[in-house]
Amino acid sequence: MDYYDADVLIVGAGGAGLRAAIAVAEADPSAKIALVSKVYPMRSHTVAAEGGSAGVIQTTDSLDAHFNDTVHGGDWLCEQDVVEFFVSRSTAEMIQLEHWGCPWSRKPDGNINVRAFGGMKIERTWFAADRSGFHTLHTLFQTSIKYPSIKRFDEYFCVDLYVDDGRAQGATVLSPSTGEFTAIGARAVILATGGAGRVFRQNTNGGIVTGDGMALAYRHGVPLRDMEFMQYHPTCMPGSGILFTEACRGEGGHLLNKDGYRYLQDYGLGPVTPEPRNKTMELGPRDRLSQAFWQESKKGRTVETPQGDVVYLDMRHLGRAKLKERLPLICDLAEEFMDLDPADSPIPVRPAVHYTMGGIVADIRTATPLAGLYAAGECSSVGIHGANRLGSNSLAELFVFGHVAGDEALKFSKGAPAVKTDRLLDQAKASAAKVVALRDQKGGGIRHADLRKEMAMTMEEGCGIYRTAADMQATCDKLAELKRQFRDVTIEDRSAVWNTDWISAVELGYQLDVAEAVAHSALLRKESRGAHQRIDGYEARDDVNFLAHSLANYREGAAPEITYGPVKITRSKPGERAYGALGEALEVKEEKKDAAHA
Amino acid sequence: MSERRPYRRPMPSNWWWAPGPYRAYTIRELTGVAIVIYGAVLLAGLISLASGPSSYAGFLAFLKSPFSLLLHLVLLAAVVYHVKTWFETLPKTQPKIIVDGKPVPAEQITKYATMVAAGCSLALILLVMGVAR
Amino acid sequence: MPDAALAAKTVELRILRYRPASDERPSYESFHVPYSQEMSVLEALQSIKDTLDGSLSFRWSCRMAVCGSCGMMINGKPQLACSTFLRNLPPGPVTLEPLNNFPIERDLVVTVGDFVKKIESIYPYIIPKVPRTIEEGAYLQTPAQMAAYESFSDCINCMLCYAACPQFGENPDFIGPGAMALLQRYNGDSRDGGQRLRLDQIHGENGVWSCTAVGYCSEVCPKQVDPANAVNQNKTNSAFDFFLSFVRKA
Repeated sequence: MDYYDADVLIVGAGGAGLRAAIAVAEADPSAKIALVSKVYPMRSHTVAAEGGSAGVIQTTDSLDAHFNDTVHGGDWLCEQDVVEFFVSRSTAEMIQLEHWGCPWSRKPDGNINVRAFGGMKIERTWFAADRSGFHTLHTLFQTSIKYPSIKRFDEYFCVDLYVDDGRAQGATVLSPSTGEFTAIGARAVILATGGAGRVFRQNTNGGIVTGDGMALAYRHGVPLRDMEFMQYHPTCMPGSGILFTEACRGEGGHLLNKDGYRYLQDYGLGPVTPEPRNKTMELGPRDRLSQAFWQESKKGRTVETPQGDVVYLDMRHLGRAKLKERLPLICDLAEEFMDLDPADSPIPVRPAVHYTMGGIVADIRTATPLAGLYAAGECSSVGIHGANRLGSNSLAELFVFGHVAGDEALKFSKGAPAVKTDRLLDQAKASAAKVVALRDQKGGGIRHADLRKEMAMTMEEGCGIYRTAADMQATCDKLAELKRQFRDVTIEDRSAVWNTDWISAVELGYQLDVAEAVAHSALLRKESRGAHQRIDGYEARDDVNFLAHSLANYREGAAPEITYGPVKITRSKPGERAYGALGEALEVKEEKKDAAHA
Repeated sequence: MSERRPYRRPMPSNWWWAPGPYRAYTIRELTGVAIVIYGAVLLAGLISLASGPSSYAGFLAFLKSPFSLLLHLVLLAAVVYHVKTWFETLPKTQPKIIVDGKPVPAEQITKYATMVAAGCSLALILLVMGVAR
Repeated sequence: MPDAALAAKTVELRILRYRPASDERPSYESFHVPYSQEMSVLEALQSIKDTLDGSLSFRWSCRMAVCGSCGMMINGKPQLACSTFLRNLPPGPVTLEPLNNFPIERDLVVTVGDFVKKIESIYPYIIPKVPRTIEEGAYLQTPAQMAAYESFSDCINCMLCYAACPQFGENPDFIGPGAMALLQRYNGDSRDGGQRLRLDQIHGENGVWSCTAVGYCSEVCPKQVDPANAVNQNKTNSAFDFFLSFVRKA
């Protein structure tokens, strides 16, 4: 087996992984970095982010405002010290990306432009047209080429972490192009593997978003935190689930029901104004908008299509010129995929799973409870999103915490003893043997593709926008059954080179573990908060019992054990979470109270 | 020992005549030869003019022959086609032209360049006709 | 009756397959999958893999024409499988082959590494003309300055342009349209001062002079990057530098 020795191993080369790699390379050019990615870095799913990245830049804006929006948006399940840190570091990261060449959209005078986004009080979303993820990812990838200390393992798939002596010390990786394994030893390991949205049926995610890093850490005893909070994005393409960015509404798009009525005004998001108004109507947060769609659908006021019920995203009033300038990708998607021109006709949309708010539990330094293991980006839960993430906070998270993870992992690696190569190789061989056994087993003739479809279906049924105990229990039972069946999978393809049949089966194993964490965490949260909404007697938020992070703990061959941990509250006491007119009234009240105290 | 064995498909030797964009490209390049041929005809005229009146009369007689008329028709068609494709390729060969913060679309560059060229040609024709009179 | 007819409608996909462990050379295999109005070529491939033959290999991820993974020859033309829809293809079998001009690793998967090396070779990052600290804030860049390079920054590295380029087919060492577009993306950026450093990649037989302005690369580009423009405007730069080199010597 091939062996590579690194100081810092980074698994995942999307926004967070690349930012971490650059951070290590800049801090210490002599540190050896192994950057592993199962796809070429520019294919990472960061590429699909559209709307933008939040960072306070306007003189009328403040870090406090960004903090409050984020904590309110997260329904007070955020780690407030981490949010404070996050908002304070975000703008610098955006400027750093600008220096590295990111083509952020500009005002006519050449200064950075920002746009409105859901749940944000003031415009603070930096954007590169509607290809913000694409441009930031390519900027980071291309910049990373500058550093010779970054040794990339492009198209290497991680099959296991190497944990020895209570420390993460490397990983076993598989090269699809040869079917051979490599053991990578490292003094510190960063996971930056992205989310797990593909466990659901209709989702905005790329095929690679299979929760690999979450499952890897989880299997080694690191809890997954707040996994019940899966974000439904309200405006996605029916059927495929492809995303129409929130920037469509930030630029002034409307959501209409089948009668052409802006139905959000019926769900506490009014008043209706012709111009977009922050934190109001279409600029409400994603959980509320997706929930409003569900209600509207129950009332029979949505439009039935073969791909499910839809409402309309209407941008005709914005005009073709503005659409082409601000939302060119959206125009292309509508034209190429749906044969319609958004300047002439409204786009049919429906909610789809978009983002995993929870993840590998990590602290403000991105350190997980397992020594030497760090996590950044969507795979992690550093605690800034709480029960509902605000749009444009996740790109910013990649850069802020990718940077931190790089610095912290490097620091840790300096004090960590060298990897014992023979022990690593022994473990790596064992890990590889397990994966090869899955490929070569006779099995019971079960196709993993069938299991994957059933998993995605049952997740949608039990852990959708609104949830009941009965449905969630059914999903938990179904997942247990699917895990049993997974043991009897037969992989048709037994060859070594580019065996994607095999790799997607390993990915399904990851997905089933993560799906179980989601479903069981959801079942036990007997309240409604953010993206977790129940309609079986737990419709209200319950701060007495559930102002707490759920922690899913892995148990081999059994359902996860769910425990709870405290939420860090620094200066924002849990209050009423409101948008539209009521939200504005509450804000005024808050400000008066603050002024009185001062 | 890796089972990896990349297979390189051979480039077909007649790729340049494959129907579609490659054939269009080949025709575009070949029509460039028409300009050379026409240049040769003009050169022949000059040489015969220099060689004396009888030689030049022979050249004029050649020009009036059916073969020459046909040749000139074919050359004209080829040159017109080549000119058209030349102006279509033009925007690809130059730095972007930016007006009001926006790049000028390729079609417009082609359109304006063609108009300028047509204008110049017309002026040249008028000039030649004026001199001839 | 029409419903039943619609439900029974299938489409034939003729796929060039190559399994290095067992096949001496690639050969075609046909599959029939249920047809629907919304189905992309990628979804047809996924349907084959999920229900008919799990051993069929192809790359894909985002499904929305931005990750650049799923480029292939569709009826002889380089296209992204995710944004090519069966409804827009002529009736009859759909022929799918790996991208032209690249070695085939397996089935529809081609070798990408050489292309990535070319990207790496052109110094694809800002080499600041005037360095700036974070505290000094962002550079100013007017819309006109952005327009000078912006379209070249839209390249998704899908390699369709390389599959369209006969000169790359003849000479695999040709730097090629995609890498040249990226080079021009940085050369044209008002923040960048690395133009001289990138000249070596422009010059020579494997530089821009391999290009004969076929122009098909720009036609197949799914993002209107116009790589042919990047290559050809650098011919001027290369020639100019060639003459300047004599002046410098003198």
